[in-house]
Amino acid sequence: MTEAAVPALHDEQHHEQSFGQKYLWSTDHKMIAMQYLFTGMLMALVGGFMAYAFRMQLAFPGMDVPFYGIVSASEYNALVTNHGTIMIFWVAMPVLLAAFGNFLIPLMIGCDDMVFPKVNRLSYQIFLLSAVVILGSLFVEGGGFAGAWTAYPPLSAKAEYSQTPLGSSLWLVAVALEFVAFLLGGINFITTTMNSRAPGMKFYDIPMVVWMIVIASVLFLVSVGPLIAGAMMLFMDQNVGTAFYDPDRGGDPILWQHLFWFFGHPEVYVVMLPAVGITADVICVFARKKLFAYKTVLYTAFGTGVLSFTVWAHHQFIAGIDPRMAHIFTVTTLLISIPIAEMIFVYIATLYGGSIRLTTPMLWALAFIAEFLIGGVTGIFLGASGADIYLHDTYFVLAHFHYMFYPIAIIGTFAGIAHWFPKMFGRMMNETLGKIHFWLTVIPFNVIFIPLFILGLAGQHRRIYDYTNFPELAIQPLQDLRVLATVALLVMLGAQLIFLYNFFSSMFKGKKAGKNPWNATTLEWTTESPPPHGNWAELPTVYRGPYEYGNPDREDDYWPQNEPV
Amino acid sequence: MSEEVHDTHHGNYVKIWAILVVLLAVSVVGPMFEIRVVTLVTAFGVAIVKAYLVIKHFMHINHTPRFIPYLVVTCLVFMLLFFAAVAPDVMNDTGSGWEKPAWVAEEKAWAAGGGSAGDQHPQP
Repeated sequence: MTEAAVPALHDEQHHEQSFGQKYLWSTDHKMIAMQYLFTGMLMALVGGFMAYAFRMQLAFPGMDVPFYGIVSASEYNALVTNHGTIMIFWVAMPVLLAAFGNFLIPLMIGCDDMVFPKVNRLSYQIFLLSAVVILGSLFVEGGGFAGAWTAYPPLSAKAEYSQTPLGSSLWLVAVALEFVAFLLGGINFITTTMNSRAPGMKFYDIPMVVWMIVIASVLFLVSVGPLIAGAMMLFMDQNVGTAFYDPDRGGDPILWQHLFWFFGHPEVYVVMLPAVGITADVICVFARKKLFAYKTVLYTAFGTGVLSFTVWAHHQFIAGIDPRMAHIFTVTTLLISIPIAEMIFVYIATLYGGSIRLTTPMLWALAFIAEFLIGGVTGIFLGASGADIYLHDTYFVLAHFHYMFYPIAIIGTFAGIAHWFPKMFGRMMNETLGKIHFWLTVIPFNVIFIPLFILGLAGQHRRIYDYTNFPELAIQPLQDLRVLATVALLVMLGAQLIFLYNFFSSMFKGKKAGKNPWNATTLEWTTESPPPHGNWAELPTVYRGPYEYGNPDREDDYWPQNEPV
Repeated sequence: MSEEVHDTHHGNYVKIWAILVVLLAVSVVGPMFEIRVVTLVTAFGVAIVKAYLVIKHFMHINHTPRFIPYLVVTCLVFMLLFFAAVAPDVMNDTGSGWEKPAWVAEEKAWAAGGGSAGDQHPQP
């Protein structure tokens, strides 16, 4: 077992650590979490800059974009492809799953580290390598992969179509490495939660965010196999001359779509569930109320996970799949909206009658519920195959997707960072700056994507470099909407500077947080901020569930999990 | 786990190994008869039985917590589900305006003929 089992030994080692031991080879879950967090934030800047470059091209075609230059057609394709890939695989997953998973799981279940600390370290090293490969692929001959983030063949399989022979293969290698990293991480999350909980912590005493990360890890483990196999076949189609997806030689390009989306749709829930879990924890703390229907949320999450494997072909309604299958997938897709709606209702019920404190994390959590609801409702149109025939591959899809992923990957993440920042760094973030950042992020977000819904309904197809080439789409009202969305994007990106300033200045100069600044009940708030190596001098014991707020028999309005009766 | 139970496991390993060897022999000999049904049963049928024995005994699935067999079965169900939904697309070769390469027709003819002429199997 790990050295981490002996706290005294830890401290001794802690003081003797060299730079390499502390940062390169550290097996401390908190250090690995911070590395995932900072890598994810750095990649978010890259992904955000890409969005800036291609949105400027769409709003002002042919413009010499400041800090970028003129966006060529092939660069445009590479930018949109890598924006999508990076934001999902190198921002949402490392931050929501890996950073929060690594930081929170041992602290919230009351143990000193992950059960496989070295595997955990290996996971981050491989992830870092994958990030280097995807960034490197942008600078090879021909540029980064330009076949869209879904990498449909034959566009992705043949260099003469995508024009990015090296970029395509490096993209596949980077994605495969990233999957290896998350498989290693996921095994750790599941095993640690199953085996290392504090004495007394039963299944229903586990905080919801931990459950959600575990369920997400299971979904990832179960779904990723087909895509890795598919990616290997695509790699061979690109480089070895096989024809798995080449219809000329007996292959089938739709097979890739099936393999991709069999992973791709559960992947939505892989990143969604941690954000849903973060929201659950945040709203309980700041509504000072027990989570309404804990078991219902848990079983709903399991149900959502199982159902998420039965909906994938709704991405392929017009790809030439068997129409009988389209009917079945319409039904399953509409079915999955039921558990998600149930979760939203549960959260509203939790808020009802609560003693709500509108702190920055709470604002983010409330925004998550509101914006995610819009994403879910617009998905119902796309899940119905009849409506999808018109809406497929328009900006309506793009706007729907961003109304799902933005609340998950950005709003959910900010809720988590604002909430656990005091625990991570021992200091409070500035509330005023936090609220300014919140409003300057959430309002522009809606101003970006509501116009894109309208553009999509007007028939604006995705993946077009310059709409002036299409007279019916180049009309002024539509162009005005593109400019509006782009200006809002500039405001939103600018507002992130406020966040970065607040983050780094609070890290060093913020008000000292103390152990439990939010008066929360879960175990991570019972140790020092930031927690020492080994987390607790003496590991805690659990006596009750994670959300004991507002108990009328007690003086305090909260009852920590580790406090004996 | 008691010592007694542990010993029983060891006994099982050799027994299971012996069964696997016999099954291997069956799967090698079966297709030699070149009868379609026999080939299918001895190749795929035996493979399924062998996989089951390996998973159950060598991978200790019968001694793990109950949720692990559930997870394995769930994965198998997902695999069948995936196959069922993909097969209509990728295994179907009829439709208006469809043209399949010539070797597909040759392969079908070979399959319809019982697949007995092993050396005439057309190469794609």
